[in-house]
Amino acid sequence: MLLHLTDLSAEPLQAQIIRQIRAKILAGELSAGADLPSIRRFAREHHISVITVQRAYEGLEREGLIHSRRGKGFFVSQITERTKKMMAKEKLHDSLQPGIEDALAEGLDKEEVKNVIQTLLDTVTAKK
Amino acid sequence: MEKAFTYTNVIKTFPDFKLGPLDLDLEPGTVLGFVGPNGAGKTTTIHCLVGLLRADSGEMTVFGRSNNLNKADWKLDIGYVGEIHVFYERWNGHQNLNFLSQFYPNWSPERASALAKRFNLPLDKRAKDLSTGNRVKLSLVAALAHSPRLLLLDEPTSGIDPVVREEVLDVLFEVLETGDRAIFYATHILPEISRLADELAFIDHGQVWFRTPKEDLTEKWRKIYFTLARDDVSLAAIVCHEREGDRHQVVCSDCASTLVQLKELGAGNIQENPMSIEEIAVQILKGGRYVEAD
Repeated sequence: MLLHLTDLSAEPLQAQIIRQIRAKILAGELSAGADLPSIRRFAREHHISVITVQRAYEGLEREGLIHSRRGKGFFVSQITERTKKMMAKEKLHDSLQPGIEDALAEGLDKEEVKNVIQTLLDTVTAKK
Repeated sequence: MEKAFTYTNVIKTFPDFKLGPLDLDLEPGTVLGFVGPNGAGKTTTIHCLVGLLRADSGEMTVFGRSNNLNKADWKLDIGYVGEIHVFYERWNGHQNLNFLSQFYPNWSPERASALAKRFNLPLDKRAKDLSTGNRVKLSLVAALAHSPRLLLLDEPTSGIDPVVREEVLDVLFEVLETGDRAIFYATHILPEISRLADELAFIDHGQVWFRTPKEDLTEKWRKIYFTLARDDVSLAAIVCHEREGDRHQVVCSDCASTLVQLKELGAGNIQENPMSIEEIAVQILKGGRYVEAD
């Protein structure tokens, strides 16, 4: 599995793994039933400790994105479109919040913030 | 499962240094980084286990067998790379490895030459003509060729170039993949093991005084910035506190509890930043006797 893991980021490795695998699952790149590499193989391939991978997998399991089968390893779970949407919304919410807070603190008013978001949305969708 | 090694109440005294009483063990399948400044007792600890030093008192086992100095069978489970590399200087690499192979029933000449190739080590040169880096590599090949279940590494990558160091790490990760091997890795250079280690044990002045899963460090330790216009700011679980007027910067070892305290005190503009393993280790080693907050 191709992931971009770096020591240079402030984000811990475990969080990097969770975020990137979650994104792959939400984007459908990893589909329901697909098997994930074993913890030890993952650790070896990405040169990280077993415990880091284990905790990342546990984190994804808690979110309901993957599940383990005894002796068989980890698999991507079946996720409803509704759950997927909810998670995507949550993610968007989390990434927008600090930006919006900053903008308000820096003196933009509600209407101006809305306009910026609207324009951004138009530009991005026009590109696609 | 049987422990890869155990130390129970081990003491070794020198005129100017005392190791222990030391209690330490290691589960198969894990990597324990052994971190401490120069002279902390890392090498002495390993020398006692491999039998290069005779401990004054205490017990040590390797996969359940006592490290009886009169009986060598427990040594077959160990691969050891120390800081000093002992070879027959007038023999070349092949001859040195051949000589060592007779002590290990599991020795694989194929594995030895494959490793030498990966490490880019010329085996036809005499030991005395090898560079520092190549001597380290020859030690590593010798330690790995019998596929030991326990690897004891004492600053194993000192003197080797980054490309080969990466190859060495690659081999270590392969060794771990089977899940029944254990690695004990002593170093004072954190970046070397910050990815490999599952747990870290900190040693100083001959005492192991702190052991923790590596992830717990990165999860709990934070650098926090905040503003608070009060003179009597006292916080628990704080390792380092700097202030400039009402702006503060603290390093805390249990972020969640510090944040609760800060909210109670009415601190503003709270920003928390994660810390790298290196930064945390420096704080721990600088802070002297660090006691974990529960």
